[in-house]
Amino acid sequence: MNPIISKQNTVQKRFLEMRFSPRMIRWVDLAGQRAAPIGVLVVFLVAAIFAPAFYNPTNLKTVAIQMAVLGIVAVGQTLVLLVRSIDLSVGAVLALGAVIVVQTESGSSIFVSLIQAFAIAGAIGLANGLLITKRRVPPFVASFGMMWFIQGARLAYTKGQASGTVPDLLRAISIEQVGFIPAALLVFLLVNATVFFVIKYTRFGRWIYAVGGNPSAARYAGIKTDAVVIVAHVVCSVFALLGGLVLSGYIGYVDLRLGTDYNMNSIAASIIGGTTFTGGRGNLFGTAAGVLLLISLLNLVVVLGLPIHWQYAMQGLVLVSATALQGLRQYLLSR
Amino acid sequence: MVTTTNEQIASQSFWRKVMTFVRNNVSILLIYGLIVLVGGATAIFSENFRQFSNLVSLFRQSIVLGLIAIGQSVVVLTGGMDMSVAMIARIVTLIVATIFNIHSSDTIILPMILLGVGVGASIGAFNGFLVTRTHANPFIITFGVASALRGIGLAISNVPIRGVPSGYLSIYDARVAGIPVNVYAMIIIWALAYIFTTRTRAGRALFAVGGSERVARLSAIRVNKTLILTYVISGIFAALAGLFLLARTGVGDPSAAEGMDFQSVVAVPLGGISLYGGKGSILGTLGGVLLLGLLSNVFNIVQIDVYYQQLLLGLIVLIAVAAYRSPRSL
Repeated sequence: MNPIISKQNTVQKRFLEMRFSPRMIRWVDLAGQRAAPIGVLVVFLVAAIFAPAFYNPTNLKTVAIQMAVLGIVAVGQTLVLLVRSIDLSVGAVLALGAVIVVQTESGSSIFVSLIQAFAIAGAIGLANGLLITKRRVPPFVASFGMMWFIQGARLAYTKGQASGTVPDLLRAISIEQVGFIPAALLVFLLVNATVFFVIKYTRFGRWIYAVGGNPSAARYAGIKTDAVVIVAHVVCSVFALLGGLVLSGYIGYVDLRLGTDYNMNSIAASIIGGTTFTGGRGNLFGTAAGVLLLISLLNLVVVLGLPIHWQYAMQGLVLVSATALQGLRQYLLSR
Repeated sequence: MVTTTNEQIASQSFWRKVMTFVRNNVSILLIYGLIVLVGGATAIFSENFRQFSNLVSLFRQSIVLGLIAIGQSVVVLTGGMDMSVAMIARIVTLIVATIFNIHSSDTIILPMILLGVGVGASIGAFNGFLVTRTHANPFIITFGVASALRGIGLAISNVPIRGVPSGYLSIYDARVAGIPVNVYAMIIIWALAYIFTTRTRAGRALFAVGGSERVARLSAIRVNKTLILTYVISGIFAALAGLFLLARTGVGDPSAAEGMDFQSVVAVPLGGISLYGGKGSILGTLGGVLLLGLLSNVFNIVQIDVYYQQLLLGLIVLIAVAAYRSPRSL
């Protein structure tokens, strides 16, 4: 008796069992959309009760800057997820860009190295996009291989040593304050406003949702689907680099571990904010809420004085539950 | 001469058979051809590489990745992916090492191996449960599980754990006829894995599910059970890799198996298994594993700077994934 092969009537019974009531489907859909804002409220409430130090102005500034960095990266990640792709090379791009800009010798201008860094980031995004659209490599494998390659390039470039000083310009866009708001937060808001405008009011924005929602229909409607996916990847890499610049301005040095968590966290933030892996669903407000949720959770671990491994556990928990929720939501909605 | 003799017909059909065989096994022939090419070229230039002991140790170094890659292949054949394998291996290493640290004796070796395999199987079952019940993206959800496991690993220990009994180390050291026992074991395990995927019902069900879940379901294959089974198998093999690592290093290393998740994901398509599932052979994965091991061995012989090694490997991986053909599904 082989357990894999079952009798016909059992198969039919399993089909019948898979019915979900409309009320449950609506509930899961709503939970998928509102999970991040509700989670943020809960975390803030818990912080108010158990860790008042969370509301310390210094700590709030830390949260704001960390949120800005992850937020900038997550905007790009959301765009890529919206077109049914994924980018696991953001963490590596972020670190590579920071290294290039920080390690400028005194001879060359900061603007030259900035242009170099952005050109490299664009090229990486282009390569990701081409691999995914023209060679039909699964997105996570293509971008994961790219991450491996970029990290190798950075290692070959720096010989494994952290060095260089952070230019003043980078400090200006991250840690300096305008009034009581850190400049990083302003960069984050600017990026969000621009991308929000583009995906809401321009033709390209509609294309992104169309390609993610149903690629073949989008192609029949005359949209160059491959081009849309490639552009999304280029934008994502460029934003990852921008995030890296803000981050290196904030922490003031560049080390080897820089950027390792950003792959997973940017995906987790997008997903818990209501973006699905199957594309076409999601928005920037949700992503921003997801970023705030994740960052304040990780910060709470520090403020409460828990050991650092709780951060990994927290990240994993958020990612697993968010993915599970969105997977179920997508499955129920698409039946 | 117009008449065709029987011999000619026979030889024609022989060549046709050969051609069909080549066409059906292009990726496997390619990977083993590459191994022979790289290995042969190195053997000509390097005295040390030609040594029998070096070849044996090359094979022995591939065992950890080999074990993990068997599990990964089984998962990928169904169209899934398991990114938690490296962390499962690490957790198993740390748990077993911690218990050995408390009670270091040869008598509990067998129970510890069973415990390790049990831990791996249960994490795998949890992965399978998540994937089948929530219909979530397996890659991401196992990535999340890996992150949680990384945290648990740090919680167990962030310094090497000592106290592994000497009997346990013989898993790595024991030899029969000059060749380590684990090399024989590895060959047997690969043979069993090949038989499992090609000759058993459950093994064929993997291909059916990977080809099309819908068709598999209509063919009365229990899709969810098959999927959970694959993640359990993957967890068990990851646990075995962790147990082997413990025997190799002799201490519970808190950074054990770092990067193995990615390497296993690379070895699988390198050997020709489609990442969309349903196509390929586990023998190809063995080729991929051996090629990766061979390359790092060659890098050391040619004395390529360690900083450039990752760059080169990354380049090879990108070329490999770009070169393989996948279905035009849209």
